[in-house]
Amino acid sequence: MPTSQPERPDPAAAAPVLAVEGLHITVGGGRVEAVRDVSFSVHAGESVGLVGESGSGKTLTCRSVLGALPPGCAVSAGRATLSGTELTGLDRRGWERLRGVSLGAVFQDPASYLNPSLTVGRQLAEPLRVRQGLSRADAHRRAVELFAAVGLHQPEQVYHRYPYELSGGMLQRALIATAIAGDPDLLVADEATTALDTVVQAEVLDLLGRLRSERGLALLLVSHDLAVVAEVCDRIVVLYAGEVVEDGPTEQVLAAPAHPYTEALLRVASIGDWSRRELAVIPGRPPEAGQAPRGCRFADRCAHATKACTEGPVELRPSGPDRRSRCLRAAELTLSGTAPQEVNA
Amino acid sequence: MSAEQDEGSALLRIEELSVAYGRRGGRPGRQVLDSVSLQARAGEILGVIGETGSGKTTLARAVVGLAPVSGGRITVDGAQVTGLRGRGLREFRRTGRVQYLFQDPLRSLDPDLTVGALVAEPLAATGAGSREQRADRAAEALHRVGLDAGIADRLPGQLSGGQRQRVALARAIVTRPRLLLADEPVSALDASNRNHVLRLFDRLRDELDVAVVVISHDLSSLAGIADRIAVLYRGRLVEQGPTAEVLTRPLHPYTALLTASAPSVRREHSIHAGQLRPRADLPGWALEQHQQGCGFAARCPFTSDACQVAPPTVGSAGGREAACHHASTWREQLAAPALAT
Amino acid sequence: MRTLRRTWQFRIARPALAVLAVVALLAVFGGRLAPHDPLAQDPNHILSGPSGSHLLGTDYLGRDVLSRLLAGTGLSVVGALEATGVALVIGIIPGLASLWLGRVFEWAALRAVDALMTLPFTLFAIAAIGVLGNGLNQAMIALGVLLSPLFFRVTRAAALGLRQSPYVEAAELMGASRSWVLRVHIWSKVLPTVAVTTAQVLATSLLTVASLTFLGLGVQPPAPTWGGMLATDLGYLAQQPWAPVLPGVLVMITAGALHLLADALRDSGAADVLRPGGAAPAPDEDPTPVPTVREEKADAHLAA
Repeated sequence: MPTSQPERPDPAAAAPVLAVEGLHITVGGGRVEAVRDVSFSVHAGESVGLVGESGSGKTLTCRSVLGALPPGCAVSAGRATLSGTELTGLDRRGWERLRGVSLGAVFQDPASYLNPSLTVGRQLAEPLRVRQGLSRADAHRRAVELFAAVGLHQPEQVYHRYPYELSGGMLQRALIATAIAGDPDLLVADEATTALDTVVQAEVLDLLGRLRSERGLALLLVSHDLAVVAEVCDRIVVLYAGEVVEDGPTEQVLAAPAHPYTEALLRVASIGDWSRRELAVIPGRPPEAGQAPRGCRFADRCAHATKACTEGPVELRPSGPDRRSRCLRAAELTLSGTAPQEVNA
Repeated sequence: MSAEQDEGSALLRIEELSVAYGRRGGRPGRQVLDSVSLQARAGEILGVIGETGSGKTTLARAVVGLAPVSGGRITVDGAQVTGLRGRGLREFRRTGRVQYLFQDPLRSLDPDLTVGALVAEPLAATGAGSREQRADRAAEALHRVGLDAGIADRLPGQLSGGQRQRVALARAIVTRPRLLLADEPVSALDASNRNHVLRLFDRLRDELDVAVVVISHDLSSLAGIADRIAVLYRGRLVEQGPTAEVLTRPLHPYTALLTASAPSVRREHSIHAGQLRPRADLPGWALEQHQQGCGFAARCPFTSDACQVAPPTVGSAGGREAACHHASTWREQLAAPALAT
Repeated sequence: MRTLRRTWQFRIARPALAVLAVVALLAVFGGRLAPHDPLAQDPNHILSGPSGSHLLGTDYLGRDVLSRLLAGTGLSVVGALEATGVALVIGIIPGLASLWLGRVFEWAALRAVDALMTLPFTLFAIAAIGVLGNGLNQAMIALGVLLSPLFFRVTRAAALGLRQSPYVEAAELMGASRSWVLRVHIWSKVLPTVAVTTAQVLATSLLTVASLTFLGLGVQPPAPTWGGMLATDLGYLAQQPWAPVLPGVLVMITAGALHLLADALRDSGAADVLRPGGAAPAPDEDPTPVPTVREEKADAHLAA
């Protein structure tokens, strides 16, 4: 595995950089609950992937950590802490102090986050001057250093380029440079590579992995693409219909999933074995926010559902030393994952 | 062309196609495609893969007469389409033998027309049959793509993304085409919808005995359905052949880079992308934008002086082709994984 | 119809539409509703104020003001409609044609429109009258010609945006004829935009008619028109304000209502041709997923 594995931080030793506990988010002005009881944590030097389809609540969760919930959405319960600072209920000035300093973020479409009439170098240098009080020359130099650190060729020349002159991959690297400029503790990547070409995507993912190990950055990666999360993340949190259905170390979860939804996602996702032609689908559709059934939310699409599954809400329970699953039958089912002893459909 | 390819049965034949935009007077313009040759047979799905700037969408558009062809020939079902203009082009389009599926179903369906009107439009615009006959055929097309006929009264804005793409597909097959070109048919869809629609292509290809060309930037979708795959890089064809072989044992370093870069849930890569990235010491000429040399030289770790000349497409066993001077030797030169950046 | 329905939902539009409905009624039936003959002079009641038999008083010749107002509405409104009608026809058809009949026609049409736009309305109308003779019809036709560039530009701009839509391209790929594309895909989407312009142009025409008749052009006295009444009775403002003020107020209210209507038409979004999926999405059983944050990938920009 070329992305070098850092020494895994001992979870018990250091406090997590980001801790989300029992997060509930409502939408539509408080009428509908779209995210229910989501908890996870990210430690320094660790990368955690939030994976789910549309409507799973992963984007809302991510936005709440960034303080960027759309109008009408609000955190109704639970809390999130970043490097000791309480995020829930933080006011605007509190967020301004955090952003760029403890928290950095990159999003899906790099071009729309850059001012087309300023050079990219200037756009990176500006917050350096404002936030860190660097002089113009120092900010210029630091910006060029950052561009080099994110793998841009000829960073000095890139400094003077306008966004339209750069490709999607280069723009995304520039934005990553901006995000890490303040040496944040946490970097959030929300579908950051979704809009990039395959080869460039791999390069940017490698970059994120490298930054994580070089700087001890905590990385929160949000994606609908299981394969992307599989490549980069140490831990995976699978979301469905606003709830966490499974989490744990990525390799273990993918090798032997403990929730039928994860198993289904694996079958649908990029296979990796090109000689096989397999187009698995998950029948049905996720429930609408606020219209989730009382019992297990995945039951109507689950191949292993029983009557007991629909009777009442299912809790998230431990399913292994560092793993949890929201499946009543987790212990008795043997679900197929990437481990060799599986029999593929 | 390999002798194994039966020349006679190719439904779509593209020969040495070149497309250039902005050609005026003496100015050569921007070359988007350069001497690309491809074929697709009835009942076969040909996948065309390439990144941004590869010219893959232009290729599809050229087949339907929407791109300025500057050289080469395109033949569909025996009829040459490259020279067609104005009335001739319109006549050919009215036969409905070739259909094009756009990338974004939301914008390629008129938001003010009902699904029924949309699907029947190719028939209504050409005055084929009576109103009832058209409605019947539209219902049949909707049924084939797995949609209930009751959806005919809805407007596109009331449908989900997957449903819209199916409606677009129904519209494309209602004329019983011989050739279907699909431009990124699943890129705008959710992962769960994606496979639903791809499976549809698989089924339709068998039921309708149609040749399908799927343009995509995403390897995994093509791996699922394409029988053969063609790889484009910067307007040139670098490799083509049966999908499984091309992807598991690529002949061209770019194809290898693509497959190595595609993320996988297994985290298994026989070659890692890092081994295929360009070396730091590229020869100067490679960095200039030469039309004569190999277009991939600037990003290739195996560039040598021979690459100053554009590599010819060389066929090899099993219906495969690749355009690389080092096609048979680059694997030996692979840097060990630990040394790669 | 859908346009009207959506506009009605806008509060602003309701009083405007109500006013215009009244004006339209008066234009058609005003003459018959008038209690007195608008031309009949009553020497005994010159410049008298409102009274039982003359609800709004009489003017300097003893003519009943109310009757003159009612009768004059028709002439003024008809004039405005005539000008607008001419402008519509001369503007819309070339506007659409300029996109579909080739480069030469396009260039010629654009230059003609540029030329027309440099001429001022009222002066041109006066010149037309001078050349063509004193008649409201001639003046209105001339005005219509001058106003046509507005329709030309608006129609052309709307159709230009639409012509590049993927669904129009899809229709062309089906082998659809130009008239099919225009009829099925373009026309109904251009109409709402045209409606906005029509309301504005009606207002402008109305004001121009009033100006012309104020100057005594176009309509032979003693036929009553709003502008004419304003002109003839202005001198008697101190003695009998109703006669000159009311016509002026009517012009203001009508023009104002038209502009409000235009605003409401525009704001209701019915004319928003550039918005994809024009009809407001009304998801029922199988809609796109509900969460406020749309997660469906929008990388349509990944074209080669």
